[in-house]
Amino acid sequence: MKSPTRDKLLEVKNLQVSFLGIKTVTALSGISFSIGERETLALVGETGCGKSVAAHAIMRLLPPESGVKGTVELRGRNLLGLSEKEMTEIRGKEIGIIFQNPSLALNPVYSIGHQLAEPLRLHRKEKKKKALSRAAEALKNMGFANTGEIINYYPSWCSGGMNQRFLIAASTILDPALLIADEPGKGLDRSCLSELEAGLKRLKEEKKTALLLISHDLGFVRNLADRVAVMYAGEIVEIADSSGIFEEPLHPYTKGLLNSLPEKGFIPIPGFSPPLSRLPSGCRFHPRCPLRKRCCIENQPEIIETNGRAVRCFLYP
Amino acid sequence: MSLEAAHSESSCITEACTEEHPEKQLENSDFILKLPLKPPFNYYRKQGSFLGQLNYGGIFLFALFLFMALFPSLLAPYAPYDRFTPYEEPSGQHLLGTNDIGNDILSELVYGAKVSLTVGFAAALVSTLIGTILGLCSGYFRGAVDELLMGFTDIVLIIPKIPLIIVLGAYLQPSIWILVPVLGLLSWESTARVTRSKTLQLRETGYVKSARCMGFSSQHIMFSDILPNLYHVLLPKFMLATASAMISEASLSFLGLSDVSMKSWGTMLSFAFSRGGFIRDMWWWYLPPGICITLCVISIALIGFGIETKKEEYAAGGEDAV
Amino acid sequence: MSGITGKGTRYLASLALIIIINFTLPRLMPGDPVKNLIGEDVYVSEQVMEELRAELGLDRPLYEQFASFVSDILHLDLGYSYHLHAPVAEILLDRIGWTLLFVGSSVIIGAFAGSLLGALAGWKPEKRTSRVTGLAFIVFSCTPPYFLALLSLYIFSFRLGLFPSKGFYDAPEIGSILHHLFLPICVMSVFSASRNFLVMRGSVIQEKKELYALYARAKGLNDTGVLFRHVLKNSSLPIITLLALDFGFLFSGALFIEIIFSLNGMGTLIYGAIMGKDYPLLQGAFLVISLTALLANMLADLLYALIDPRVRRPA
Repeated sequence: MKSPTRDKLLEVKNLQVSFLGIKTVTALSGISFSIGERETLALVGETGCGKSVAAHAIMRLLPPESGVKGTVELRGRNLLGLSEKEMTEIRGKEIGIIFQNPSLALNPVYSIGHQLAEPLRLHRKEKKKKALSRAAEALKNMGFANTGEIINYYPSWCSGGMNQRFLIAASTILDPALLIADEPGKGLDRSCLSELEAGLKRLKEEKKTALLLISHDLGFVRNLADRVAVMYAGEIVEIADSSGIFEEPLHPYTKGLLNSLPEKGFIPIPGFSPPLSRLPSGCRFHPRCPLRKRCCIENQPEIIETNGRAVRCFLYP
Repeated sequence: MSLEAAHSESSCITEACTEEHPEKQLENSDFILKLPLKPPFNYYRKQGSFLGQLNYGGIFLFALFLFMALFPSLLAPYAPYDRFTPYEEPSGQHLLGTNDIGNDILSELVYGAKVSLTVGFAAALVSTLIGTILGLCSGYFRGAVDELLMGFTDIVLIIPKIPLIIVLGAYLQPSIWILVPVLGLLSWESTARVTRSKTLQLRETGYVKSARCMGFSSQHIMFSDILPNLYHVLLPKFMLATASAMISEASLSFLGLSDVSMKSWGTMLSFAFSRGGFIRDMWWWYLPPGICITLCVISIALIGFGIETKKEEYAAGGEDAV
Repeated sequence: MSGITGKGTRYLASLALIIIINFTLPRLMPGDPVKNLIGEDVYVSEQVMEELRAELGLDRPLYEQFASFVSDILHLDLGYSYHLHAPVAEILLDRIGWTLLFVGSSVIIGAFAGSLLGALAGWKPEKRTSRVTGLAFIVFSCTPPYFLALLSLYIFSFRLGLFPSKGFYDAPEIGSILHHLFLPICVMSVFSASRNFLVMRGSVIQEKKELYALYARAKGLNDTGVLFRHVLKNSSLPIITLLALDFGFLFSGALFIEIIFSLNGMGTLIYGAIMGKDYPLLQGAFLVISLTALLANMLADLLYALIDPRVRRPA
């Protein structure tokens, strides 16, 4: 989507990811989106729709057996064409990522300080002492008081919420331009979630980091996202401004997602999302769509842009 | 013993780690990308065929040895106790020559299979039986019983086995009836550990819980509900125990602590060394039994590993169904 | 803290068990206990037997015997070998130094070599080198230790004449010692390495699937960086436990190798004791070996706690 007032930080064009095996399965069938500098884009969808795959594909963290096609441009450079060596310089420094399970993402045998200081020592070749003191500073910015002690703690000694904040600190210590947050709120309780929200907001405002927020929780996303992209079964079905999505959803799937929120009545969408190895013909959502027509069963809709929004549905040709 | 220990260590550590971090077991499945297939699938295929070949090779070799053990008279040209001219070199009549008292070495080799394999199996049976029962009770009853039994296991684990067997063997008249129980009694720890962790897992399954609610006795539940699910874990352990028992038996025979009246591969090697076969450069005397032991153990190990890998593949394939 | 006391009790119990076994064995075995305590094939007259019986305290009640047994051990008195006409403790002390040198260096070399190769093989298991080394090590670990020693003695000593075949040294200097010990240490290291290889390989294969390895990559570490900085440390933990458990096995393997290479360590000592039915020596040796294994285990537990913070708790 074009946002004329902002420069493009990340531009994904027609990204396709397939996994080779006995049967080749296409996890992403050509998705395109862009994120501007300092912008927050939320990628929303049910489990299994391919949002995490997209995140891993951008960072080139997928296993070697996967086939990736398309372009992913970071400030004009195509990440998919870079060598592994060049990629290692970008990871952590220009793009950071936080994973779903913070307690498992941190190495249990190294102290928090060591792991926070690692990107500094790696990318900026700083000495250990200096790196550790910068790590302590980063922890302070995250809201921790006794940073001197925490530096020597280990992940297994801390709660999930604390580990989540350590993870954010480690991923943002080099001030990357883009932070990808892959389901950061999963498994956290209500208080941790609001802390997480506050932390991410701080990142947005103080450090001016662009954020790619991946979540299945529309409610969580509402307060943070500037724009929202909705994914279903490996495709993007709608992209719009945050207010547009929440007040005027276009795609039937988006409408269904909103209706399933607690405040709208918890009405679930009937059926299940299809396995990526056996996709329905025509429009992938049609088996669960209350508004399907004949053409939906036979033909696949293209994604069409109008007025700053994009929808993939025959209802809006 | 080496294989068993290495294998047991890795499986014990896995069990121990997942025990201490039960949340790992649950959460591990969550963070991994919901990839429709297990990620490196064609890598598994390549590995699978290599391991598959090894597996078939192992089964084939083992079948050969089994045949040798069960029908020795079909393969051996003479009876092993017949005497001919001693210290003969390999010739048309005696393919592997004769030993110091004139027995045909090839026949000794073939008949030796029976002894070595019997000792191996018997010792493995004893150790697997003890280990399974202890592990079952420990995992099922938990609490004080668990602490006691596992503490006992830990304590026995520390005592070095071969020195103990040496001491025992020096006191007692070496015979097969001593060798088998002693070998069996000193190697049940890893089986016990693995059985215990599997039992702990199975204990929480639906059908076991409902059986307990229905009031079945503990023995009944243990033996008809939990035990059948342990077979696929016990079988590779049994095979590895056989392999290690065979190596131990060979080592002890070398020291002269095994049954002298029974001609196992180990005793053949020991005689070859002590009765001058080595000095006289009689490779046809000491090489064949050693190679046989090695090959037999390798074949058992391959089968054991093969079963383990198949088990993992099935577990992996299950994700595909989802 | 409770973990430590738990472990402590277990070690004490093992110690007790070892001592009890050592105590009861000669008294339980068939035959005259005096013979069992002094060794067979020792010719003594009836009168001397009676004296010995009294001296060894066999006519005193059991708990008194046990008490004096334990106190003897605490005074480092392990009995007297009538075959070799010297106190057992002295004989053992004399020989054990060499054996420890031999076993110790093999264990260390084997641990490093095996772990490194195992880590590389586990990191890239599809490569041909990984498979070949894996197969080679499986074969090595399946061979009876003394058979491999026999083969290498034959090939390298007799046939090729590269290495001497007997003893620890011709002249007591480093060069000669190294020359003599080279082959036995090689064989022993191969065994030690094969066990370490298999465990490390399995460990690495498991650890590299973990999330922290992926996160390390996401931070910008390259392939070797992830392996050596992250996966390796986590994968090494089982090796420590293995080394401890292994100690008994490696020591036993060393005995055989010493016998074959005619090295004057514990191995040949024990072999001679078996032949001559020198029970006091055998018992003393068993006690010493068991205690060393116990110590090794305790050391390993300590090391594990130092390295793995999950076992510790914050102060």
